[in-house]
Amino acid sequence: MSWRWALARRVAALAATGGGRGAQAQRLLPTSSAAAGTCLLGRHHMPLTSQIRSKVVGCRGAALVSSRWLHDAQYQVRQDGASRAQQDPFELVADELSLLANRLRSMVAAEVPKLASAAEYFFKVGAEGKRFRPTVLLLMASALKFPLSESTEGGVLSILADKLRTRQQNIAEITEMIHVASLLHDDVLDDADTRRGVSSLNLIMGNKLSVLAGDFLLSRACVALAALGNTEVVSLMATAVEHLVTGETMQISTSREQRRSMEYYLQKTYYKTASLISNSCKAVAILAGHTAEVSMFAYEYGRNLGLAFQLIDDVLDFTGTSASLGKGSLSDIRHGIITAPMLYAIEEFPQLQEIVDRGFDNSANIEIALDYLRKSRGIERTKELAREHADRAVKAIESLPDSDDEDVLTSRRALIDITERVITRTK
Amino acid sequence: MSWRWALARRVAKLAATDGGGGAQAQRLLPTSSAAAGTGLLGRLHMPLASQIRSKVVGCRGAALVSSRWLHDAQYQVRQDGASRAQEQQDPFELVADELSLLANRLRSMVAAEVPKLASAAEYFFKVGAEGKRFRPTVLLLMASALKFPLSESTEGGVLSILADKLRTRQQNIAEITEMIHVASLLHDDVLDDADTRRGVSSLNLIMGNKLSVLAGDFLLSRACVALAALGNTEVVSLMATAVEHLVTGETMQISTSREQRRSMEYYLQKTYYKTASLISNSCKAVAILAGHTAEVSMLAYEYGRNLGLAFQLIDDVLDFTGTSASLGKGSLSDIRHGIITAPMLYAIEEFPQLQEVVDRGFDNPANIEIALDYLRKSRGIERTKELAREHADRAVKAIESLPDSDDEDVLTSRRALIDITERVITRTK
Repeated sequence: MSWRWALARRVAALAATGGGRGAQAQRLLPTSSAAAGTCLLGRHHMPLTSQIRSKVVGCRGAALVSSRWLHDAQYQVRQDGASRAQQDPFELVADELSLLANRLRSMVAAEVPKLASAAEYFFKVGAEGKRFRPTVLLLMASALKFPLSESTEGGVLSILADKLRTRQQNIAEITEMIHVASLLHDDVLDDADTRRGVSSLNLIMGNKLSVLAGDFLLSRACVALAALGNTEVVSLMATAVEHLVTGETMQISTSREQRRSMEYYLQKTYYKTASLISNSCKAVAILAGHTAEVSMFAYEYGRNLGLAFQLIDDVLDFTGTSASLGKGSLSDIRHGIITAPMLYAIEEFPQLQEIVDRGFDNSANIEIALDYLRKSRGIERTKELAREHADRAVKAIESLPDSDDEDVLTSRRALIDITERVITRTK
Repeated sequence: MSWRWALARRVAKLAATDGGGGAQAQRLLPTSSAAAGTGLLGRLHMPLASQIRSKVVGCRGAALVSSRWLHDAQYQVRQDGASRAQEQQDPFELVADELSLLANRLRSMVAAEVPKLASAAEYFFKVGAEGKRFRPTVLLLMASALKFPLSESTEGGVLSILADKLRTRQQNIAEITEMIHVASLLHDDVLDDADTRRGVSSLNLIMGNKLSVLAGDFLLSRACVALAALGNTEVVSLMATAVEHLVTGETMQISTSREQRRSMEYYLQKTYYKTASLISNSCKAVAILAGHTAEVSMLAYEYGRNLGLAFQLIDDVLDFTGTSASLGKGSLSDIRHGIITAPMLYAIEEFPQLQEVVDRGFDNPANIEIALDYLRKSRGIERTKELAREHADRAVKAIESLPDSDDEDVLTSRRALIDITERVITRTK
């Protein structure tokens, strides 16, 4: 815990000297060039930041609209007393992210033009999904940096540190490839028409090409994995791939028994949503040469973050941007997917089970189910569970070995920020 | 080359001592329990072989019908002059025990994990049975062909245990290869909306697609985990490249432009990707696991590559000729799907006007007849067979270039690998 107090003391010191800027410590700084200049911890950014940032902001323009929850100026500050500077975590790694995006694009270049355009499809669109995982992974890499003494600047250790960073960036790229491959296949499985607001690839180019493109991305990811030359990491990511498939299988083939079970649901959610990010966080730690214990903390952060994310996703599917029920897209229930809020409601109102069993092809049935949900504490309990997981994610970060390095402290703070945003987002 | 003469001498000696068995040296021994008892190299089989074999023969019964080319008693002996005692042990026999082990593992794995896929699981074992056994057979034989010599005194010792461990790992390569192969078959089956016009109901299309995608993903993910477990990143890389090639090959097939459909080069590249890459890369993986040099590993790769290409070229011929020698009696499924294969490409070289006929497409069966006519007049079939022979010869050369060995298993397996190239070329179905 001690590193957090170190950070708090440092921020307080800066606030004292920064005068008027102290007031900003209480709220999130919006992503604008103003942020670059006035940010309290601005001097820790890499050189050429503002130049690159305006370019990055430019081409991300469209994406920002949909990823606003990461940048919303009105998110609530955690009421735990410590006053902290709230750097946009996304900003911290913006430069690296565009590097990754470019590398990814070149990594999925294919000989056959049709395959190339299919593979690239999701590296053009779907920005917020594309940035979440890599952001977390790059921040984790920074949060786990071993201390380098100043005198080794430009020396051998510095070169090794760069090499390590590149390898950790590769993990982020590999993770994205695996993620997009699974999206491409899921869209075929779901007969999806749209994905993130644009036409799904299978609609445009056909089911078969989507499947082939997914396989292509997966094989490229495997080659990139092999190139890291670390068999434990290969194993971790292969397990993540297997979990994605297992989760999808669980979703498609749930029996009625299983659809009632919160345990089954959480297991499936771990497989489908949390396993990839948790295993890649762990891989980042392993590449850095950390102990099994520290690697497990990285894993636990990823796992709990992923679960919290999905649980809030479940809530938002019912509530949407309003606080009231039924205003969300209701896409889960329309597809017959029974999520946490409904499962909790069934615990309180057993008669709801019968309604759920009847299925939801009939929209009147959906209304009845929503009615029960409204009466129950389903939404609240889901939010509570999400909070629980977010807290565990924070604890994992707090258990990391102490460090004095400012980058390390900033990144850890950012990772904690992210857990907060995941819980409090409204879209 | 010397190891071949060593084998020949040994076989000649056995034939001399075995009396009546010598006559059998000239022809292929059919797969029957007779083979187990009278096989000239029978004593090299693993213990309990005959017991297991009769079980295996039993459940392979149905599969044998379609894979007869591997077991046909009348295949022709290579006419290259050297009178060798043709120890024509069925190569399939040599690894029969291991094969049924692999097949059972694969079957139970899929059915258990994805219950809905029980019927899909049967798919793996009804269709392409000879395809299913072909790859693992080649890989297991390659593993044996590449065995490092162990001195007798290490029987049961540390080296022996290590050898067993290696064998298991090489079997894993065979399993992984099958998983990848079947996954690609399943994904190739995924239909687009256009295909519903051929009378497939839309519900069937949706469910069929979902199961195909899911089952294929399941197999691929299992292959990934199994690969990772081998702890060899070079092998991971090889097999991942093979997957990439399969996808590239299939994409080439579904998205050929008119230009590309005329090109023999494009066709051979596509054929390498779709048919030869998997077997060549897994042969190489088998060598790498054994710790062989890059040179030896490349020889293994070359064998697989040339074998795969020869196989596909003969496949192309058979699609036209079928079991008869005459044209047009085959299933003609390639041409009906608009896939222009080697014989036709050669014919187009001889008769440029055939290009126009091909460009018209083959929805109209009359057009097929016209094309077949040209093909008949051309040397398309012959030249394809010649090209296949060329590749088979290169495969044989690769085996002959392997480091010398005295070990009987090694010699037998190498002989079997050469046998297989012969069967690939001379099969009639």
